Amino acid sequence: MLRIENLHKSFGPLKVLDGITAQIEQGEVVAILGPSGSGKSTFLRCMNLLEHPTQGRIFFNDVDITDPKCNILKVRANIVMVFQHFNLFPHMTVLQNVTYAPTKVKGLSKDNAKAIGMDLLTKVGLAEKANVYPSRLSGGQKQRVAIARALAMQPAMVLFDEPTSALDPEMVKEVLEVMQDLARSGMTMAIVTHEMGFAREVANRIFFLNEGKLAENTTPQAFFANPQCDRAKIFLEKMLK
Amino acid sequence: MVRLFQFWRRSPRWPLHPGKPLSQRVLAQTWRRFWALLLAILCTIGVNAGLVAHLAPAGIAQELPKTLTMGTSADYKPFEFHDTSSGEDKIVGYDIDIANRIATDLGFELKIQDMDFNGLIPALQSGRVDFVMAGMTPTPERKKSIDFSEIYYSAQNTIVAPKDSNLTTLEALKGKTVGAQLGSLQQEEAEKIPGAQITTRNRVPDLVQELKAGRIEAAIIEDTIAKPYVSIYPDLQFTVVPNKEGGYAIAFPKGSKLVPAFNRAIAGMKQDGTLDRLAKTWFEDLGKPAESGFQRIAPRIPYILGGILVTLGFTFAALIFGLILAIGLAIFKISAIKPLRWFANAYTSIFRGIPLIVTLTLIYFATPQLTGYKIEAFQAGVITFALNSAAYVSETLRAGIMAVDKGQREAAIALGVPYQMMMQDIILPQAFKNILPALVNEFINLLKDSALVSTIGAADLLRRATIVGAETYLYFEPLVIVAIVYYLMVVGLTIAASVLERRLHKSA
Repeated sequence: MLRIENLHKSFGPLKVLDGITAQIEQGEVVAILGPSGSGKSTFLRCMNLLEHPTQGRIFFNDVDITDPKCNILKVRANIVMVFQHFNLFPHMTVLQNVTYAPTKVKGLSKDNAKAIGMDLLTKVGLAEKANVYPSRLSGGQKQRVAIARALAMQPAMVLFDEPTSALDPEMVKEVLEVMQDLARSGMTMAIVTHEMGFAREVANRIFFLNEGKLAENTTPQAFFANPQCDRAKIFLEKMLK
Repeated sequence: MVRLFQFWRRSPRWPLHPGKPLSQRVLAQTWRRFWALLLAILCTIGVNAGLVAHLAPAGIAQELPKTLTMGTSADYKPFEFHDTSSGEDKIVGYDIDIANRIATDLGFELKIQDMDFNGLIPALQSGRVDFVMAGMTPTPERKKSIDFSEIYYSAQNTIVAPKDSNLTTLEALKGKTVGAQLGSLQQEEAEKIPGAQITTRNRVPDLVQELKAGRIEAAIIEDTIAKPYVSIYPDLQFTVVPNKEGGYAIAFPKGSKLVPAFNRAIAGMKQDGTLDRLAKTWFEDLGKPAESGFQRIAPRIPYILGGILVTLGFTFAALIFGLILAIGLAIFKISAIKPLRWFANAYTSIFRGIPLIVTLTLIYFATPQLTGYKIEAFQAGVITFALNSAAYVSETLRAGIMAVDKGQREAAIALGVPYQMMMQDIILPQAFKNILPALVNEFINLLKDSALVSTIGAADLLRRATIVGAETYLYFEPLVIVAIVYYLMVVGLTIAASVLERRLHKSA
């Protein structure tokens, strides 16, 4: 589904991604792990071109999305993203947050978008909050709305950028459960996370990044039982302590 | 009061013209004789001109356009002023009656355009008006840029001073502080007094107030104008300056073909006694004591309050156009394209760096000369204020946009929302909420600054107050009324804004 070839990204003199080649198949749930500063988030943000690669190419369903002629907006409507800080639109109600992009970007009718939106809000357990403004929600509720908002685009793939890092510990679970349900439904997902338990149970592939390079690309079983590189060993020791 | 002041400006310049002092009978008689002689000469010329016109196949009378626009500065009672005593606004006066009579004689339709006295000559030069009657004296200086008809009214200067001050001759004014209306002939007159310290004010009523406040020791004012003030303020006296002659004439653009026809009409009016009759009608009751201040103001209050709509309409129009422009500029300012940023920054720098009144005057007077479009005072005002406001608001708005969380932008981008939609639906609504208090301030400033349009003759609150002031010779009362009205409007706005702000707060 998504094929990444020799991806480089620099911010000025700072080299963040240093030649990553990888592939994500339809229905795969990929957990992207790595020490801080290893380029995980940048790698994820390159996948929907929120960051433009300095070098290298990305193919989505065999279409080169790094080609300037490619319609990036269409790609982004297909590869949506959930952010660490939710980024809900504060001047819109929960339901408006969810229906805005489908009506404006995809041109769905209001009724249609509303039906899809309510259905998704029910799935994330927030149907009764539909007409509330985001400022009245808890962090966990906000993130569930953000997931519903992303799914309302009926995307082919969802990117999660540390979706639980900004949450109070007791709210992490409700968000992870929603993500687990989503994974079970067969959605293709790429998740930057520090939740090792979640990565081990839900993901079916692990990308371990170190210093801008893809140090390991393997199954969760292999990675957690027997990490290959030294950096991964140290990382796991610290994370699982 | 305004009219009084303007009289000074317009008043005669002594070496040039025969004057008929209204206050000094003896002199008046002498001048009447002079006039008779002049009339006789003029009539001869007039008749000859008439004959010529009659004989020539392309006579001037046939060439007159159907409609002619006359410029005047209707704050110069009794020559031209707004009569608002009926609650309606009409421009009347000695000059207006003469103009109407000329229109009848020459068979054209008369349109009157009211503006600041200082704007009359530019208006002639830019073709905004065809001729000007505004108690204007043909000075050599003015003759360099415009043409004049023959004199139709002669006037004299007076020294106005506190009673018992002994300041009754020009010699007595040596070394004193003397006031005169800016740009007037009286100013030139005052400047000839050796050792006198000259103070100028824009309007005659201001001079009278300065005199009463003791900041100046005497003022030089034209006689017809000075007379009612002295009767209203018994602590003032006035003395006619002898042998200083001058008068008023109709002004035309340089090279205007209208001059001979108008001269013939003036000569006709002198001959059949029309001018004398009109003088009697307009000048006779000037010395009569008037009713109390408020009695005179009361019937004119509806007229003043009518300015609220003009002021508000003007402010709203400027705000809305300014906002639209500001949004564009703010987007330029945050754009990745350098020339757009340069443009927007240069724009802000220019409009913040030029005083509003300078921009206003430039746009009002330069537009007709550059483009031929005779821009209305209201339009010029709205454009000026919108352009100026955009410079400030775009800066505020840019800061407001920058203050919107970066994540909002990313969330919109990640959903595939196009740039324009993102700005419109996501970023700008939040930016506007951020800057609402600043916008309310801008609106209040606009409302108060809008009083500047009164300088180009738009009938806003302040302009109406000065019009009524000039008509009733009252200085403070109309100003106090508009001060209260402005204040109430600002308070109302502030309350409305805080209600709006609270509502917006609830929603997010």
